[in-house]
Amino acid sequence: MSGRVRIKDIGLRGDQPLAEIDTDELIPLPPPYDNPGGTIQELKPDAAERMVCNLDGVVALSLPHPESPEEERALVDHFAEGLKKLFTRENNWSFLQPLTLAMEYCVGCQTCSDACHVFKASGQEIYRPTYRSEVWRRLVKKYAKPNGKLMAPLTGADVDLNWTTISRLYELAYRCNLCRRCAQVCPIGVDNGLIAHELRKLFSQELGWAPRELHEQGTVLQLQVGSSTGMNQVLVKDNVEFIDEDMTDETGIEVTTPWDKEGADVLLIHNAGEIMSWPENPGAFAIILNAAGIDWTLASEGIEYDGVNYGLFYDDVQLARIALKHVSAAKKLGVKKIVMGECGHQHKAIMTVADRILTGELRDVKRVSCLPLLEEIVFSGKIEFDPSKNDFPVTLHDPCNIVRNLGIVEPQRRILRYLCPQFREMTPHGVDNYCCGGGSGFAVMSGNNFTDWRVAVAGRMKFKQILDAFADQPGPEVKKYVCAPCSNCKGQIRDMLQYWGALEKSGITYGGLVELIVNAMVDVKEPFIKWEMH
Amino acid sequence: MMSGSIPLAVCYGLLAIFVVAFLIRSLKIARLPLHLRWELAPVPKEKGRGRYGGSYLEEFEWWKKPREESLVAEVAYMLEEIVFLKALWAHNRRLWWFSYPFHIGLYLLVLAAFGGVLASGMAAVGVAGLGWGILPKWIVWVAGVGYVLTALGALGLLASRLADPKLRLITTPVALFNLVLVLAVAVTGALAVTTVPGSAVDAVAFGRALLTAGPVPHMAGVLTAHLILAMAFLAYLPFSQMMHFVAKYFTYHQVRWDDRPLERGGAMEREMQKLLQQPVTWAAEHVHADGRKNWVDIATEEVPR
Repeated sequence: MSGRVRIKDIGLRGDQPLAEIDTDELIPLPPPYDNPGGTIQELKPDAAERMVCNLDGVVALSLPHPESPEEERALVDHFAEGLKKLFTRENNWSFLQPLTLAMEYCVGCQTCSDACHVFKASGQEIYRPTYRSEVWRRLVKKYAKPNGKLMAPLTGADVDLNWTTISRLYELAYRCNLCRRCAQVCPIGVDNGLIAHELRKLFSQELGWAPRELHEQGTVLQLQVGSSTGMNQVLVKDNVEFIDEDMTDETGIEVTTPWDKEGADVLLIHNAGEIMSWPENPGAFAIILNAAGIDWTLASEGIEYDGVNYGLFYDDVQLARIALKHVSAAKKLGVKKIVMGECGHQHKAIMTVADRILTGELRDVKRVSCLPLLEEIVFSGKIEFDPSKNDFPVTLHDPCNIVRNLGIVEPQRRILRYLCPQFREMTPHGVDNYCCGGGSGFAVMSGNNFTDWRVAVAGRMKFKQILDAFADQPGPEVKKYVCAPCSNCKGQIRDMLQYWGALEKSGITYGGLVELIVNAMVDVKEPFIKWEMH
Repeated sequence: MMSGSIPLAVCYGLLAIFVVAFLIRSLKIARLPLHLRWELAPVPKEKGRGRYGGSYLEEFEWWKKPREESLVAEVAYMLEEIVFLKALWAHNRRLWWFSYPFHIGLYLLVLAAFGGVLASGMAAVGVAGLGWGILPKWIVWVAGVGYVLTALGALGLLASRLADPKLRLITTPVALFNLVLVLAVAVTGALAVTTVPGSAVDAVAFGRALLTAGPVPHMAGVLTAHLILAMAFLAYLPFSQMMHFVAKYFTYHQVRWDDRPLERGGAMEREMQKLLQQPVTWAAEHVHADGRKNWVDIATEEVPR
């Protein structure tokens, strides 16, 4: 589709993409990452026959075509039903007030556009936070309000509800990281991130459409097996035992992880992805908590060993099911508090978003971030540190779910300022940070050519920030560390550094916060941080 | 010069629509159910932390310590936003140059309107005459500056909406109509102030007539047109997007800044328990809703392992 894209174009000419991404037109990166400025693999020639690919030449969701006009009609009708349900108290009390405010009071000033890392990196009209929202708003006005069609010429509700519209809108709901940077700058307080979230909910809760990685391989698998990684209780204990042995060999410190300790002060819940992909992170936690004398445990009951809750990104029902299980099992074990491991969305799901559905005796279990606990430990004097062991450039990525959404800004910084002599901030940082591009589940989504898009487009601003933070020592001879205290952010940063070859070209690697803490411990003789891509 | 009058019934009708619709729409937002926590930093009331976006969740074992909130910091943030449109200044400077005079102009007109009501009230009870003291003069100046600023701002915003492709992208006919309506109110007001001798005294007399249900004075045509347009604008306001000044209270105080945790045994918990009893009708298979099961049933059902 050529020319400037209009709102109503979303429902027109469904046989061709609404927009096309030219990587040469993306915001430039500094050398040696400027030529080429990234590539996005073209879809296979038969892709359009197998699935819907009419948004932007990228396919995250592999939505099949309806098999008949009747099925197509039924799906569109279903969507219309869902649109109405979003505005009912029974079905959507959970977000009705913020959603209604976002629906009715956007003044169309486009202030949010420049706050969005996806739009800023690409300049694509369809990635403006308001594009998706305005399509949805016009659909609501026309199809979910009394006399909507009659009033359409006045209200500007010119979007047609058809298969093209809903199939594009489904894909477009997954071009937003739900980081809410747009909401932060909105003069009215309208939350376009929330609108993307509610659209995802509509698709999931009414039509049963959700990314396979988040639903079948995510929440459903977690509720069935215990973890979205597929690990059951036996396997997770085995894996952690291996990690303990490795850590003991590596550090010379006897590392043991306690399991299912009734009445423990702290129940630590990791994102189980850490155990699979970054074992040094749970290992480092064990070393620190043991050294500080914390009365802690991991738990194997139910889903208690995996803090993941992808329901946060697309489905209130799945969110509630998982959050209730997390806290119920902690209550049963009699622990005093749940401490969130280095996982941003886990923080947000259990600590705030699910807070108000945790009623009655579930309130007995307190929920707290690992970051203030680590700060307490580091400054308690219980562990001896030698900051010179961390004398290399370090920058900090602020996970949106921990920083912008929960306001936990300073504990991690106080630790880094103390333990890392060459710590430097990105610009902007703190609550004004840019999302890594992996937020809202993207980091685990890799269908078709979506990984290319999330790295080259969604992660572009973050990669630029990382390069800028290390601009004083750009060469590979100086090893540099991006501290990202969040599992999904680490997954995205790993993919980003690999995509650009940043370890080889610039000496940049990444990891969590606890790894830096252990690396600075006097009792740990060998360097804990490995300068390799993992 | 043309002149005219306005039937009292029309005035009361328009003002009644304004008051009733304004209250209903505001109450409708306020009465929307308690939602899940959805706060967004910075939360300025967080004492000592709000300036950098921190919250009480930065404290280990925060529940053992009293919540420290700063009303001064919250009010200071609100004043900066209301008086200077700080968010727009910081993030969309180009539009601020039009939006700022537009809003400041409207603030002045509201102030002048209050002055007008005060003067009319005093005239109605006989405390003062129509030309009492300096009040009408003061009203004329405030209103005059308000009309000019509002008109300039509205013109700028209108031109931006028509000329700037990114604004045109999401501009609807209604949004243009809103600006034209405000522009018409401001221009007629400015004309009345500048071309009609004693317009403020006439306006106060009109106000007295409204308050006492007395005879509406005969006024200059442009002033009559202005008063009709102003009242029509008020009647229309609650049905429009321009109610965003009310919505903004809720987006900030009840969404972005509402970081209250639920307290066991508290009113919030009781409200939440009622909400969780509502039946669910979402149709996707994995929800397992049948229209009878409530949120508790659905969220706590066991999945076969």
